[in-house]
Amino acid sequence: MSMITIALPSKGRMKEDASAIFERAGMPIVAVGNERSYRGKVDGHDDIEIAFLSASEIAREIGAGTVDFGVTGEDLIREGLADADRKVEISARLGFGHADVVVAVPEIWLDVDTMADLGDVAADFRSRHGRRLQIATKYWRLTQQHFSGSHGIQLYRIVESLGATEGAPAAGQADIIVDITSTGSTLKANHLKILSDGVILKSEACLVRARKAEHEGDARIAAIVEAVRKAV
Amino acid sequence: MPLINMPEFSTHLLDEFAARGTARIDTPVIQPAAPFLDMAGEDLRRRIFLTESETGESLCLRPEFTIPVCLRHIENATGTPRRYCYLGEVFRQRREGDNEFYQAGIEDLGETATANADARAVNDAMQILHNLIPGRRLNVTLGDQAVFEAVVRALGLPGGWQKRLIQSFGNNAHLRHLLMTLASPQAETGLSPELAALLSQDEAALIAHIDRTMEETGYSTNASRSPREIAARLKEKQSLAETRLDGSALLLLSEFLSLEMSLSEAPAALAGFADAAGLAMGAALVTFQARAEAMADLGVDLTKVTYRAAFGRPLDYYTGLVFEVSRDNAVLAGGGRFDRLMTLLGANEDIPAVGFSLWLDRIEQARAR
Repeated sequence: MSMITIALPSKGRMKEDASAIFERAGMPIVAVGNERSYRGKVDGHDDIEIAFLSASEIAREIGAGTVDFGVTGEDLIREGLADADRKVEISARLGFGHADVVVAVPEIWLDVDTMADLGDVAADFRSRHGRRLQIATKYWRLTQQHFSGSHGIQLYRIVESLGATEGAPAAGQADIIVDITSTGSTLKANHLKILSDGVILKSEACLVRARKAEHEGDARIAAIVEAVRKAV
Repeated sequence: MPLINMPEFSTHLLDEFAARGTARIDTPVIQPAAPFLDMAGEDLRRRIFLTESETGESLCLRPEFTIPVCLRHIENATGTPRRYCYLGEVFRQRREGDNEFYQAGIEDLGETATANADARAVNDAMQILHNLIPGRRLNVTLGDQAVFEAVVRALGLPGGWQKRLIQSFGNNAHLRHLLMTLASPQAETGLSPELAALLSQDEAALIAHIDRTMEETGYSTNASRSPREIAARLKEKQSLAETRLDGSALLLLSEFLSLEMSLSEAPAALAGFADAAGLAMGAALVTFQARAEAMADLGVDLTKVTYRAAFGRPLDYYTGLVFEVSRDNAVLAGGGRFDRLMTLLGANEDIPAVGFSLWLDRIEQARAR
């Protein structure tokens, strides 16, 4: 019988919360070797193996089909994979790791509350400032989908930001940001506000399945999904 | 070095260009990416091949010729008017077709007799395609950004709405969405009481308030938008929110966008539309008619050219004519007037520009059929 591989976050709250859910689902996870090993197994299920990976690697591996399931944030799935819905299926929403991907602008932009406002500002930006409106983000794909796809805004430039994105406007690296926020307190501390229609994605940790042909009719796959859904 | 995968009609094409008094220009295959992303927007990023230099400069494989040709012209500072032609490979990530293929075309920079230059561009594209694909019927579609802008301006909407509509010309889904918003009562924008109080003051007090807040929050040192700009747009926004397009204006705009007819009928039909609607569209109609006449003078059969009022490209450097020549739903040539591009790319003076490019892979397929 073929092995089923489940990729789980390798550290932090996400790792603990994911382990707790699998425990409740009757699939207690034990590390192979010592506590800090990156391989694991499920007690009583010899045909399931666990790979502990970083959250963004998990998105990539499910997309490539090298693992069967993974637990990761929906934001990383939608950002990391082109055509995500064709490659993967969100089998269960797990109720932790809540975070929204949002468009945030300086609070002092009193005239900007909506994406339409932002579109107006972006349209004039080049003629006023000699350059396009700049957005600091690590979410290239989600930003493009939201700006161009949903709101017809083309005229902006993305400035890649891999950390402390909230500080980019005050530091002059960008005009606005697209970033993840759970409570909004970091945004507030940096005098940024979320646009009223600026929530791009309400993300949380999900059990995600790679869409593979061999999963069809495999009762074990359906059983894992069912068990996790009940444990949430 | 001669490239052996060039389309077999390349020599013929270069002769066509030479016969039209154009000078061939070459541009490097590897280009700085910023001008393309600046001009066309971030969406282009997914469709081009990007790489980085050792020093971190963002580079791409040439995705088209117009921007490199214009940049080369600015760099060489050879003066205008100039007519350039090009033929070479371009690189794009496409759903259909190869990722590398040939394009050729003409860019006409600095010709101030714009109606004649427009007509010449359309005529050149049509003639060259007729010569390459003899005896086949080609569909020619023409649109005009300036005519749409004239209609929007004549309707007397607030400046902000005019800008929104003009920006979205060519993106029909977005344009329809805007028209629906204009037709329905606006949701109150929900100004905070504090903001409402600020707005009731004079502009100087509002600017001072914004300035003070920026100081307090440590934002001002890097502020891209000044207190004056924010205050001005806040006032503009107030008028935006209070605007509702009355039913008749909305009908007029929709009626205009649905216009489609042969170019031979279009000047009279547009004049009739303006008269019936009581819109003063002045210069845009004069230019439109002059272009049509110049095309007829060059021997273009205007009854075989379709004018479609909603046909445009949602890029802010297109200013007037746009056109397309297609066969069996494949676009073989696309062109237009882009008077704003040269200054956006760094030219010191306004340089009127019109041009077109030919999709050689599709032309090759059309010839084979």
